[in-house]
Amino acid sequence: MTRLLIKNAYVIDPLNGIRGEVMDIAVKDGWIVESVHDGAEVIDARGCLTLPGGIDSHTHICGTKVNFGRYMMPEDMRAGRTQRRGVMHSTSGYSVPTTYGNSYRYSTMGYTSVLEGAMAPLEARHTHEEFAATPLQDTMANTLFDGNWPVMEAVRDRDVKRAAAIVAWTLAAVKGFAIKLTNPGGSECWGWGKNVKCIHETVPYFEVSPAEIIETLIRANEMLRLPHSVHLHCNNLGVPGNYQCTIGSMDLAPDLNPDRQSLYLTHVQFHAYGGTSWKDICSRAEPVAHAVNRKPQVTIDMGQMMFGKTTTMTADGPMEFNLYRLHHNKWSNHDVELETTSGIIPVYYSKTSVVNCVMWAIGLELALLVASPWQCLLATDNPNGGPFIKYPEIIALLMSRRYREEELRTLAPEALSRITLPSLDRELDWHDIAVMTRAGQARALGIQSIGKGHLAPGAEADIAIYPIRVDETDPSRQFRDVIRAFQKTSWTIKRGRPVARDGEILVEGTNKTVWVKPKVPDQYDMGKDPEFARNFDRYYTVRMSNYPVQELYLQRSLCMESEAQL
Amino acid sequence: MRIILNTGRTIPQGNFVEYKPSPEYGAETSRAFLAPLDLMDLGIEAGDRVRVSCGSRSVVLTAAASDDVPPGTLFVPYGAHANHVVPAATHGTGMPDFKGIGVDVEPTDEPVKSVWELMEDLGGKRYDH
Amino acid sequence: MIIRDVICPFCACLCDDLDVHVEEGKVTAVDNACDLGSHKFLTDHRMKGPVRRTASGWQEITLEEAIAETVELLSNAERPLLYGWSSTCGEAQSAGVHLAERVGGVIDATTSVCHGPSILAIQEVGHPGCTLGQVKNRANVVVYWGCNPMHAHPRHLSRYTTYADGFFVRNAFKERKVIVADVRGTDSTNVADEFIRLQPGGDYAVLGALRAIVRGKGDVVPEEVAGVSREQLFRIADLCKSARYGAFFFGMGLTQTAGKYKNVRNAIELVDELSRHTKWTLTPMRGHFNVYGFNEVCTWMTGYPFAVDFARGMAFYNPGETTAVDILARKECDMCLVVASDPAAHFPAEAVEHLGSIPVVQLDPFPNLTTAFSRIQIPVAVSGIDAEGTAYRMDGVPLRLRKVLDRGYPEDAMILKEITRRIADGGGP
Repeated sequence: MTRLLIKNAYVIDPLNGIRGEVMDIAVKDGWIVESVHDGAEVIDARGCLTLPGGIDSHTHICGTKVNFGRYMMPEDMRAGRTQRRGVMHSTSGYSVPTTYGNSYRYSTMGYTSVLEGAMAPLEARHTHEEFAATPLQDTMANTLFDGNWPVMEAVRDRDVKRAAAIVAWTLAAVKGFAIKLTNPGGSECWGWGKNVKCIHETVPYFEVSPAEIIETLIRANEMLRLPHSVHLHCNNLGVPGNYQCTIGSMDLAPDLNPDRQSLYLTHVQFHAYGGTSWKDICSRAEPVAHAVNRKPQVTIDMGQMMFGKTTTMTADGPMEFNLYRLHHNKWSNHDVELETTSGIIPVYYSKTSVVNCVMWAIGLELALLVASPWQCLLATDNPNGGPFIKYPEIIALLMSRRYREEELRTLAPEALSRITLPSLDRELDWHDIAVMTRAGQARALGIQSIGKGHLAPGAEADIAIYPIRVDETDPSRQFRDVIRAFQKTSWTIKRGRPVARDGEILVEGTNKTVWVKPKVPDQYDMGKDPEFARNFDRYYTVRMSNYPVQELYLQRSLCMESEAQL
Repeated sequence: MRIILNTGRTIPQGNFVEYKPSPEYGAETSRAFLAPLDLMDLGIEAGDRVRVSCGSRSVVLTAAASDDVPPGTLFVPYGAHANHVVPAATHGTGMPDFKGIGVDVEPTDEPVKSVWELMEDLGGKRYDH
Repeated sequence: MIIRDVICPFCACLCDDLDVHVEEGKVTAVDNACDLGSHKFLTDHRMKGPVRRTASGWQEITLEEAIAETVELLSNAERPLLYGWSSTCGEAQSAGVHLAERVGGVIDATTSVCHGPSILAIQEVGHPGCTLGQVKNRANVVVYWGCNPMHAHPRHLSRYTTYADGFFVRNAFKERKVIVADVRGTDSTNVADEFIRLQPGGDYAVLGALRAIVRGKGDVVPEEVAGVSREQLFRIADLCKSARYGAFFFGMGLTQTAGKYKNVRNAIELVDELSRHTKWTLTPMRGHFNVYGFNEVCTWMTGYPFAVDFARGMAFYNPGETTAVDILARKECDMCLVVASDPAAHFPAEAVEHLGSIPVVQLDPFPNLTTAFSRIQIPVAVSGIDAEGTAYRMDGVPLRLRKVLDRGYPEDAMILKEITRRIADGGGP
């Protein structure tokens, strides 16, 4: 197959302790190796910054609600169009691009793996179809369990093992990667148009609380030995004063895993608000960050909000309805039987809005106040906080106080007294950024073991070469160069093949989907459980035999098996 | 008589939607359901034929009585006969007026055409292979 | 041999509990299907092989000849229209979009003459929806507006609504109230608890009146709106507001009558308004078993759900301009590829006439009325009977259709990919 030699690469490889060394990288048949013989294609990185391929640990790009977002927003489609050219299909879309649009743009930025933020098991087939049309990134799917009826019944019965067994069967059936909880308990309430306000409030009929759901599933997750931890979108997203709920949720997490966090909280910016209403909303990034700093068992991602137009889409149905009541804009909703919900509404984040300015500051504060970049990863909850094409600007904001000050001067003045950002001097360095955009994700997702997120021999050859010389650049002053560099790689290499070069996509691509199959003892196999099957066929509107997603939907399939400890 | 035409799906039409050359299909799609009062006003009985016209296009259908159809409206199952008179204008929406079209109805002795005859009127050629 | 849990490929109910009996390569019986589904499995009027129409009659040709000529016709066309798509699987629809992109043509589906207006409304105000199991398990009020499910979606009531017992609705027939709105009596209005009989064209006004009442502005409502009494309007509004969970289903009565997408918009906004008081959802009664699938596939590939024009090399969407009926009525296309639908039967005459003056190629298992205009027809396997593939139910749930027998027909996805490959290799447009 292919042999590639990248010469003169300025490598930062945090998982292997490399903080900036010029070296050669040898690639053979899609893997990084010690060396290659003559006859290899040579790429001269010219001393430019070379990192493992980017990994996005939380992005909404494939599936039912994403597609809802697309077709209800033809105006978004018109905002970003490219023609068919060479191997590139035509693309459309700004905040909710088409699948090819997403794939090409991520590839241009050096991203080679993505974790889809939310997939309802009943509609997993749709997510996998879209994965297949996102050909330049390996894909994984966060699988929603927040309103899952059999799981809630097991939680109510305090039967962790049964909860684990249901999760195991479902993840394997729908080729999911991890347990996702979005507004746990709230989804079921939203089935009746209601919500939960607190992690200890109980859900009608099922009589379980969000706290119980979270705790049970954290334990179930570790029993199943899944690569990633429970991935939580806390209750009360966007509600002034919600920071206490967020810290309360973090407090639920025991430290059960030596290799990674036991609880991943996503887009925490939306969950770090103080105050009591929109009138007095303020940043509570400090106490939230301090809580993270005290808890090695917790990892978060920023959920950075960036100004401009975007589309919000989450599995937090009731929250999206409230946004609709606020904005009176078009609103879509999609409740999934026995499982979860979702909502979509377009928004515009404005510098004249005090609330939006506070939100913008909070995300950055979190990244600057959390001491370890391994515990605070870079993301915008694409597209909820802003489209992922804005990541380079976020990188620059984190690396340059000057850039932050420039931006702060353009905000609504009333916001300044509600945030701590102006007083934060810290500037993240290249190594921090490498952690926050790939190495940290690989560790948090548990995918180093399959060769992701690092560049030592044995790693998969997913490599990004950015057109910037670290030794010649002061990111604090030259933040515009930083932005430019991270917007477009000189080379993006995927599985040892150059796939993007200076923004040109070079190949059609076929990606790999990573999923999990925890092996459970027979008595916990839901496929053989008569009660599970009976309830399934009674209450779903799909037969159990038609529910699992056949492996042929995956372009290439990588199943991470584990021996469950039940 | 000026009347409002509505077209729509029916089970018999759906049962033969994959066998359109069948006599059953043509019989169903050439049926015009009218209220008994309207049949009386037209001076016809169920089973007689009517010519339905809209603009310059017209088609012959077989009248049938229905108590469910409101007087002043005509229901014809979805298909080539009805579409022979449905105008193509979509008012910028892509969707023609398949319901709520003003048409003229009068009794006639002319025969009901088969679906192939209708197609040939429009420039097609029957499939009789 | 009985094959269980077969998915019915007729309407967008996508019932997946069919038991199909197959003996010696033929379907001999079908359990659990409605009349429409049974007919689909049991009848067999397929075309035997590809045909070409000539001045002297119909000629049998080989698949290779048919493909080669189709490639030539598409390559030479300046503005090809690729229409249909609703009765085949997602894999073929995806291939169709790639092909349209490759030839710079217009791709449109039966949506444009069915629920296209619903999508236009959704693009204005959004879609407050759910999967059908939410309705089955929770709804105690169901509305069918401008549709006749007993005829168009016969098992809808027994699988998802009126007669479907659910987790929170143990005795559906007793606990569920059904409201049906139509201009005429139908088999569906006959099973309604409340029949709203309105005058043709009156849907917009009646929906508006209901919205006003729900908003507390009932004083503006006159004694009668489009044939519906004020008393009934208040009764309906009250029933809807006091529902524990209400589900609104609608069909061509809203999309095909005057106002079209504005009617649907009004319905959506009524449901939005009711959602401020209690729980309500809305679901369009999609017709063909995989029309929604085409919208899904086309959207993730191009950004738009139907009527996509690739003449500029990128996707351009403008219903009314890029929709099939309009393109045909304006005589704008110079070639037409029809897959899995029958425009000659379902389009107005003026649009059909244009098919008579351009080359038409059809991929369809059966002789249909479009055959009369086809220069070439290639019979293909039927998705869900002799071909597997993905289909999307009316609520967005994706299922994999099964293959219950083999008839030796080629699959349309394969043919479309081959056509695309040859055009790409041959330099193409």
